[in-house]
Amino acid sequence: MDDKSLIETAIRQAKKTINIGLMVMVFCLFWFVQNQFYPDLFQGNDNISQLDSLQNDFVEPPMFELDSASIENGIHIPTGLIVDDGVQDVMTTCGACHSLDLVTQNRATEEGWKEIIVWMQETQGLWDLGDREEIIITYLGKNYAPENTGRRKNLENVEWYNL
Amino acid sequence: MATLAAIVGSKVVFAENFPDELEPIGLETNQQDDGIPGKSNQLKILNSKPWNAETPPHLLDDEVTPSHLMFVRNNGIPPTEVDVQNWTLTIDGESVNKPITFGIKELMNDFDHHSYNLTLECGGNGRSEFNPPAKGNQWGLGAVACTKWTGVRLKDILNKVGIKDNAVYIGYYGADTHLTGDPDKVVISRGVPIKKALEDETLIAWAMNDKAIPAMNGYPLRLVIGGWPASVSGKWLTRISVRDKEHDGPKMGGHSYRVPKFPVPPGTKVPDDQMKIIESMPVKSIITYPKTGAVIPKGGTFEVRGNAWAGDLKVTKMEISIDFGVNWTKCELKDPINRLAWQRWSTKVKLPEFGYYEVWARATDEKGVAQPMVLPGWNPKGYLNNASHRIAVRQA
Repeated sequence: MDDKSLIETAIRQAKKTINIGLMVMVFCLFWFVQNQFYPDLFQGNDNISQLDSLQNDFVEPPMFELDSASIENGIHIPTGLIVDDGVQDVMTTCGACHSLDLVTQNRATEEGWKEIIVWMQETQGLWDLGDREEIIITYLGKNYAPENTGRRKNLENVEWYNL
Repeated sequence: MATLAAIVGSKVVFAENFPDELEPIGLETNQQDDGIPGKSNQLKILNSKPWNAETPPHLLDDEVTPSHLMFVRNNGIPPTEVDVQNWTLTIDGESVNKPITFGIKELMNDFDHHSYNLTLECGGNGRSEFNPPAKGNQWGLGAVACTKWTGVRLKDILNKVGIKDNAVYIGYYGADTHLTGDPDKVVISRGVPIKKALEDETLIAWAMNDKAIPAMNGYPLRLVIGGWPASVSGKWLTRISVRDKEHDGPKMGGHSYRVPKFPVPPGTKVPDDQMKIIESMPVKSIITYPKTGAVIPKGGTFEVRGNAWAGDLKVTKMEISIDFGVNWTKCELKDPINRLAWQRWSTKVKLPEFGYYEVWARATDEKGVAQPMVLPGWNPKGYLNNASHRIAVRQA
């Protein structure tokens, strides 16, 4: 080895050391800045974590069993629901959070029921219904469909009494 | 209120126990099957989880609605264990100088007490008539009451806390929990512009009809704001935020308690940004006597009476018709007990001959605005139905 190549090797070594040193410094600086000023930079978004845990933890309630003794004239007496395909899915899914009175007193088209489900998913913590969604929407749209009541109905179900 | 003042003045500060007013009614009584704690079983239950129930109109035949007959409108689950001694109200938000927390005793001791009879009506009262139907509890006529509320003025509290010039809105928070059981999910948090919040009649109340507020109506502390949708009167109150912008809590936005900015054909899909917040409730009346279905003896005269209210305004004229709106007869109309209380009205009716009749009632407010005979303008969530109340009567 001549002097020239020795010097070149030394310079190369020096450059390498400086580069590594710089990298270490940059990393340290980054680490310092992140820790000091952005401590939650690598934290998961709370909402997303929550959603994840919701979906992982959520276990669909077991299917409600229909007892034929509790059905009269096609109505499931304890809940008031019309007995038809999908009624068990409605009982277990909708009944998980609110009473089923909220179902039986409402009327909507399939599209309208879908909107109600989406609203509950967006604002009220309802989970993804998966395969059950279509069954539920079909059931509701068929059995709890709107009727055109006009601008004012006749007075109905009047119980007459002597004043 | 002499007794309350005496109790508060002489006892509360050092006593272990709160006055009778703060002993809960409804919580201690055993819940009956299908019954709502503290409420008459004559209320019509629309929903048992969460509890929602309305009062049949013939049971609203009082100037001051008895507590057990006041409607229940819950969005979530009321707190089950209420510790009155340690219950606090925090006033915070961008527009307070410094957040302050008060115990109920401090509220009672540090501020003047006021009582007002206030009409609280659910924004969705009358929803059941909408066509196409609107989702939610299908209220008939009875999501309304006028009870006596006692407490301190919100404006006195805000004066003490000190609010900045940039305050535009207040928003409440309560101790009820979401149906999903998620403890961090706020059930409902609504409010009013600062001008409405600073009215004399806006109270932080601990008593209704001189007793503790019923558990289902907000025990132990409630924000009460008469004349506006009752959802601005936050129940189980724990916090009021003074905001430097329109409050943005759950059920302030979207379609909740909002109506289209302009009239729309029934069934229209209205985008969120074309909706506006409901403020004052519209002019309305109910017939509280007789109950619908009365059969009148031939030639008999009977009294027809009820209540009328008009949000922030006063009702100035009350009329009924027994011929489907062809002729209208003016009724006697009392002044309200105080601003924002409903008004009693009455008249005598004689049916001309044998047959079927309907009594229709129509109130007119101080601006000359009257109730419609059919459904008013359609809106997606079915709010503000103030169509004339009708009852059926027959002459034998």
